[in-house]
Amino acid sequence: MNTGDPAVFSEAPVSCELTDGCITCGDVAVVLTVVEASGPDARCRDDAGRTEDVATELVGAVAPGNRLLVHAGVAIERVEG
Amino acid sequence: MRFVDEFRDPDLAEMLGARITTLCEPGRHYKIMEVCGGHTHTIYRYGVQDYLPEDIELVHGPGCPVCVIPMGRVDDAIAIAERADVILTCFGDMMRVPGGNGSFVDATARGADIRMVYSPLDALRIARQNPDREVVFYAIGFETTAPSTALTVMRAKAAGIRNFSVFCNHVTIIPAIKAILDSPDLRLDAFIGPGHVSTVIGCRPYEFIARDHGKPLVCAGFEPLDLLQSVFMIMTQFAEGRSEVENQYGRVVRWDGNLTALKVLADVFALRPYFEWRGLGSISHSALRMSDRYGDFDAELRFKVPGMRVADPKACQCGAVLKGVLKPWECKVFGTACTPEMPIGTCMVSSEGACAAYYNFGQYAKQRVHLEV
Repeated sequence: MNTGDPAVFSEAPVSCELTDGCITCGDVAVVLTVVEASGPDARCRDDAGRTEDVATELVGAVAPGNRLLVHAGVAIERVEG
Repeated sequence: MRFVDEFRDPDLAEMLGARITTLCEPGRHYKIMEVCGGHTHTIYRYGVQDYLPEDIELVHGPGCPVCVIPMGRVDDAIAIAERADVILTCFGDMMRVPGGNGSFVDATARGADIRMVYSPLDALRIARQNPDREVVFYAIGFETTAPSTALTVMRAKAAGIRNFSVFCNHVTIIPAIKAILDSPDLRLDAFIGPGHVSTVIGCRPYEFIARDHGKPLVCAGFEPLDLLQSVFMIMTQFAEGRSEVENQYGRVVRWDGNLTALKVLADVFALRPYFEWRGLGSISHSALRMSDRYGDFDAELRFKVPGMRVADPKACQCGAVLKGVLKPWECKVFGTACTPEMPIGTCMVSSEGACAAYYNFGQYAKQRVHLEV
């Protein structure tokens, strides 16, 4: 768990790549699974096992196993189904 | 099976395409606009058009956030970035967008401190780490991205961080769709609604399109089968004589959107009276500025901004491409003077731009290469 600045992304699963465009500004969002929740942030993991700290204020309290739609480091909705 | 595999099944795509074909009225040509640049990217990357009958034409819309930024807003940000005390931060695609005085990459080569970030929260982290510098976040994007900017500013205010501000270029999708509906040179039959914008704003804001203009709209996900199913839903509406807003992307889109996110947006931002869109011109109430409550974080108030207005290069036909009037390859500089390596227009910069998407993947569509899993 990241114990420093909650805004720091220790290992972002996605990034801005000039060669292949930037998924952030392309309105692309990714589905991540909550591993651990702590305060306003949650450590999340993608299907490939990469982890990222995600701001969760916009989706309410989250728990391990919840799946979130994440855009630019912020969860914008819960994923159902 | 990975989560996405079921949305990229070529056999299901063939089956859906066949069912869509049966819904076509003989002799009728259907023009369906996908508003979002992410959908444009999927269409070219997976050859979605190849699974549709020739009578259905997918028209690319203005929903690439980078593509609609006018050149003057790039020059304004460079003017701020050239101050010695400023660190300008932005998303990756913005780095190569040409302004009248070059791009952010060019400004960096001239000595400006411009850094690429994945999230506005990263920009805030840079502000924390550099208390003696002014850190400006160049915010772009539709309602998908605006909440992340808003949340970052709220955190900055709560933490008392004073050296952080936002150069706000966030735009809203509904006025752009209205401008397209009012455009005299384009006839559209239906819309594929932007899935991730709709995650935030919901489906309700689109209801006027079906009610007042008689055109179906289906909010869609971003996998190939999401798009094909959306076309199927639109064609079913035509076959049944309906014109409604429907939601194909129920996995994440709620009818009323994310109410918490909408409340945050309303708190942090206010509507600009008008904003210039590249290719679409000035559109009233189509963009966001910092609200008075968060005016201390408005870079346009903190710094002297020239307010540049720069005409697009004459050779550039991004405007016609953004409105769906021209296909990318019909632009006279497509693939010759304008390429992803040396873009003239914004549509060639972002991978979600129609021109870049076609340049990168379109040739495969011509060879009728089918879905890859």
